Amino acid sequence: MATETGEPAEQTSQEYAGRFRNHQRIERLLGKGLYAFAALMLVFLWLPLLIIIFLSFAQSPNLLPFDGLTLSNYQGIAGEPGLRSSVVASFSIATLSAIVATTLGVLASFALTRYRFPLREVYRTFGIIPMVVPGVILGVGLRFYFLTVGLNPSFLATVLTHSLYGLPFVLLIVSARLYTFDESLEEAARDLGADPLTTFRDITFPVIAPAVGAGFLFAWVRSFEDYIRALFVSGINTDPLTQWMFGKITKASAENLNVLNAVSTLVVLAIAVGLAIAMNYGNVTGYVAGTNADDDE
Amino acid sequence: MAAPDRDETLRAALVRGLSRRRTGLGVTAGPGAIWIVLLLIAPLAFMTAVSFASIDSVTFDIVWEPTVNNYRDLVVGGTSEYSLGPLVYKATAFEKAVLLSYAIATVATVLCLVFAFPLAYVMARLDDRAFKIVIYLVLLPFFTMYLVRAYSWRLMFGQSGVLNQVLGAVGIGPVAAFEFGVPAVIVGLTHAYFPYMLITLYASLDGLDFSLIEAARDLGASRVDVIRDHIIPLTLPGIVGGSLFVFVPSVGAFITPQILGQGKVQMIGILIEQRAIGEATNAATASAASMAVVFSIVVAMFLVFRYVDLDELGGV
Repeated sequence: MATETGEPAEQTSQEYAGRFRNHQRIERLLGKGLYAFAALMLVFLWLPLLIIIFLSFAQSPNLLPFDGLTLSNYQGIAGEPGLRSSVVASFSIATLSAIVATTLGVLASFALTRYRFPLREVYRTFGIIPMVVPGVILGVGLRFYFLTVGLNPSFLATVLTHSLYGLPFVLLIVSARLYTFDESLEEAARDLGADPLTTFRDITFPVIAPAVGAGFLFAWVRSFEDYIRALFVSGINTDPLTQWMFGKITKASAENLNVLNAVSTLVVLAIAVGLAIAMNYGNVTGYVAGTNADDDE
Repeated sequence: MAAPDRDETLRAALVRGLSRRRTGLGVTAGPGAIWIVLLLIAPLAFMTAVSFASIDSVTFDIVWEPTVNNYRDLVVGGTSEYSLGPLVYKATAFEKAVLLSYAIATVATVLCLVFAFPLAYVMARLDDRAFKIVIYLVLLPFFTMYLVRAYSWRLMFGQSGVLNQVLGAVGIGPVAAFEFGVPAVIVGLTHAYFPYMLITLYASLDGLDFSLIEAARDLGASRVDVIRDHIIPLTLPGIVGGSLFVFVPSVGAFITPQILGQGKVQMIGILIEQRAIGEATNAATASAASMAVVFSIVVAMFLVFRYVDLDELGGV
């Protein structure tokens, strides 16, 4: 094309080479810019958490003027009234509700993937809705309803609420696993004379076990970190960790902030350790993102 | 020897039952269905009924006489004046809260999308080792308690927050934008739901065939062309899904506006809480406000799901 204008071929190729180098430079700059922006976003995600961790070792909860480092904030945790019982309450609520959610969710996943029945789509949609309804509305609705049927805000009401809230997470993860499960394995087992219970124990369960575990963990974490649903249904005698923390945040004195920073740091630390173990053990990314659900690494 | 015998018959009965299609379906679908009917459908139906009833002002009992007053009161009789040229509109507290919530949620969603997309793109192209480190750094905040993350911004913002202290130390002085209020709430929500957007976008970018993009570039498509004609259409389910995961919970947010608004940001979640258990308790009003919000979300989702299937939204 360029040769048609009659220019010497050498000059054209030099010009092209120059443009190519320019192009490469722009390409490299843009590539670096993209990576720099991505790194900046990781900083955005981490900066406030790092500040909490740093302040948990500081004398005063204000960054400036900086008064020096101390471990006394962590010593203060031990004598904190109500903290221990609220941690116990949160653990019990999360564990019980996750057990219920996992049992119901696994069974429902089998129904959705192994049977065709009328209203199947409706069933699935309503199985996902508890995760989508804003927490305030689910909490308020269940509070009014529980009060009317005679169940006062209590430990039991919170477990029931959270078991409903955790159901969608189990349902989504386990049914995704069952969809990709090779059903001919089950058929082969049954053809060879295994009854449905044996087939489930020896064939199906080992394959879906990681998904069931992931669903349980998700339901557990969701219950443990929930504040707003528990606010409406937990009542005055049950005080989950989130209620305790929220109380401290709203009454933000220096001592309260110091204790909160230490507790928050311990929460981040516990999750860091738990996540590292989970990621070594199973395909956490796959379950979170819903990608490559068909291989377990 | 009686006990094992009974166990055997029980097991045989169970096996026989589970082999029948109808029993199998009942055992698997039944418990979940009971839970959904008793703990989801019944409460929502009850709330709908209450929203059409009224509350006795003395005894606080529900008076079951059908009325639409609760809904009318949401939108009629406002006192805050808004003028648009010659038009003056008096908005109610509910209308203001809904508008504010939708506006804040929209800004947070757009910010999440713009912030998360480049990072998700980079993540999809990283090698395995680097990816493992980055995904760990992303999942850790994702699994960290929501309340801790909201609280972390409580330390950053405010008159004597970290941001203003640092700015004060370098002589720029306290900046009003870094005090508690709408900007703080937007930052808090963006931070809270950023991982949801990121992971959903990553899931759709992960399946993307990057050789397609290289081919398009080799054939002379500009960068903008490639993004507009290839990357966005191919990742649309992720974009829509991620936006939904940010937008819906942001509309109904309670903790973030409560902690980072410090009473100055009256979003719809706070308004409903006040009507339900707070200073202005009225079960009927709270129910009507809740149903109105649920309805608006259902309409929004209906519009969205005309374009994207629920299945494509990924695991969580």
